Amino acid sequence: MHKEHGELRDFLPDLIAHLDRIGAEEIVLEEGYGLGVGIPVDAYLEVSGRARIGSYEECLDQDVVVVLRCPDQRELRRLRRGAVLLSMLHYPTRPDRTALLADLGVRAVSLDAITDRSGRRLVQNLEAVAWNGVRAAFREIQRRHPHFDHPSRRPLHVTCLGSGGVGGWAAFAATRYGDPELRESLVASNVPGVEVTVVDFDLTWHEDYMLGRLERTDLLIDATRRADPSRPVVPNAWLAALPVDGVILDLACDPYDLDGSQPVVKGVEGVPHGSLDRYVFPPEDRAYDLVDPRIDTTHRRLALSCYSWPGLDPVGSMRTYGEQLEPVLSVILGKPAGDWDLNGASQVERAVADAEVSRWLSACTA
Amino acid sequence: MVERVHGLTFGFPRMDKEAGERRDFLPPLIHRLADLGCEVSVESGIGSGMGYLDEEYAASSRARVVDEDTAYRQDVVVVLRAPIGKFEKIRRGATLISMLHFPTRPARVRHLEELAIDAVGLDTIEDDEGRRLVVNSKAVAWNGLEAAFAMLERRWPQLTSPTRGPVRVTVMGAGEIGKHAVEAATKYANPERSDLLMRYGVPGVEVVTIGRNLTCDDDYLMQRLTATDVLVDATQRHDASVPLIRNGRLGLLPPHAVICDLVVDPYLLDADPPTVRGIEGIPQGNLDRYAFDVDDPAWELLPPEVPTDNRRAVVSCYSWPGVHPKRCMELYGKQLVPLLEMLVERGGIGGVRPDGSFHERAFYRGSLRARSRPVPVRELVGTS
Repeated sequence: MHKEHGELRDFLPDLIAHLDRIGAEEIVLEEGYGLGVGIPVDAYLEVSGRARIGSYEECLDQDVVVVLRCPDQRELRRLRRGAVLLSMLHYPTRPDRTALLADLGVRAVSLDAITDRSGRRLVQNLEAVAWNGVRAAFREIQRRHPHFDHPSRRPLHVTCLGSGGVGGWAAFAATRYGDPELRESLVASNVPGVEVTVVDFDLTWHEDYMLGRLERTDLLIDATRRADPSRPVVPNAWLAALPVDGVILDLACDPYDLDGSQPVVKGVEGVPHGSLDRYVFPPEDRAYDLVDPRIDTTHRRLALSCYSWPGLDPVGSMRTYGEQLEPVLSVILGKPAGDWDLNGASQVERAVADAEVSRWLSACTA
Repeated sequence: MVERVHGLTFGFPRMDKEAGERRDFLPPLIHRLADLGCEVSVESGIGSGMGYLDEEYAASSRARVVDEDTAYRQDVVVVLRAPIGKFEKIRRGATLISMLHFPTRPARVRHLEELAIDAVGLDTIEDDEGRRLVVNSKAVAWNGLEAAFAMLERRWPQLTSPTRGPVRVTVMGAGEIGKHAVEAATKYANPERSDLLMRYGVPGVEVVTIGRNLTCDDDYLMQRLTATDVLVDATQRHDASVPLIRNGRLGLLPPHAVICDLVVDPYLLDADPPTVRGIEGIPQGNLDRYAFDVDDPAWELLPPEVPTDNRRAVVSCYSWPGVHPKRCMELYGKQLVPLLEMLVERGGIGGVRPDGSFHERAFYRGSLRARSRPVPVRELVGTS
């Protein structure tokens, strides 16, 4: 992936072994593949005699192209008509790119759109989003709290906005400081633990309640998935109620986009948008001044935000994605894209067919 | 499409449990196996607890309705809850797929081995990270909380009043079930009701979740209990011989409070070490009866050495997913399809490789074979 320096991820040798098992004729890996996660290229070549090293362009020339984060539009134009692209494509929030893929005749399959009939994503790492973010947040609290590991301190108060996929994991991780070993050592020292209060949209509208809650919050977590992303859940003015040493953790990581046809702001107003290169923002950080001036950033606290929290643990992240991709790739290599059955008995095949760009667009316009 | 015929035969007997146990595997799973070319025998009456007819199962040409003994005599026998007392009906060398709980049932393991049954525990089929592939912890939480809020509404009419404060739910245990319990509680375990109450300006639910490092803090816990309308036990205790909350502390809960028991440990006071319930002095329910008001005679049936002076309404069920049987079996069916497809493809359990595909590895881990020939996870995964 050709992204920021902090993006180290590539798929692991297990996935290459799986491709070999299911009959891939040739597997081309870009030069330097795996180095970011500390895996030598020989580890890939050892698991498959059909694997070889090639240039980035050669990789893009294959029948099936598998890359976690989406290539840019210039690179997409290089893909062959009829080729399958398997990547995180975020169709709903990237309409221009989605239309381009359809126009190019690429059989794109968005990893984030592969869902079962109940809407549950089959390729996701919400657990890592929560654990990596919460661990990073507690490290900052530990660094700043004068009595963090002392038995006399009171329980820490975490408020988690949202109780869905990410929120559930965030609450779980927060009860363990995002770090089970740290938790065990604090339990052994009789240090009071963490009380996590979870509130969803049926309480976050209640200003009086929320102001009272924020006053008692050491760590505020945004794990919301909003029906209307044009309005924040916590307006910046409310952050005045948060203690000055309170910490904000942005797990939702919505961007600020006020000029799009559907304006989007972050759930907690005024928090800067981070990446794998920079995701911790003290109140005095310049990043606050770079936020769109139409966004209110008056009240600032130490904030953490990262576009790709799973990337903080690249090996763990790719192990999870690799396991989830195995059955998906079995479908893709099993039959031509045109034959993927939307109504077949195999749930994975149905899910892959649903996530193919031309069918996804048809379903949207139906 | 060329029709394939597989030699593997499948049997789906009914469960012989309490009257409230209405679950059986559903017709789509049977038809999928038949489509793969397998002969499938289902016991007559299967699915009747959920309103299904034999004809719906027999709609595929390779599916047939049989008696119980015949259903048990197939190459692969699939039944959700362990068929206690019926293991002898299974042929030597046949495969049994069921919730078998190998780690906590050593006598059962020995019995299955003596009978030469190639058993696979649905509850021990796990991926490389140890996550179960056939599991319904979401239903445990949502069904339990649904019953808890129904009980709360009976005991506390203010639940639907716009003038009340937020409902206060305390979830003990933040693991897999606790995680779902938090989500369910924020929505009254009923999203439609949650939307409706919000439209009428009724404040929602504040859910506080605490782990072991606070449940063992008595001062903190006393304070928390006084501010709790629904107390949820979703813990996994390290020491099941000691309760997390003594019966005396339950008196701190408001009188209208409801205790929601999602763990459902039994009382085994004669075992060594003994097992007691996480919340001391509450009854244990099953699919026939799972809601207990404070004057319920169920309290009198608890072992006399267990203190029950402080009582609050309790919801407790040995098998929460079974409360909504069809929904539960739809999910289990979906989870089983890729595993059984793989099993058919490999020609039976003998062909399942410990270092094979994702589903092969997981299925193999769930088998008795893996217990006698364990393969380290790292070796299976093969990552550097």
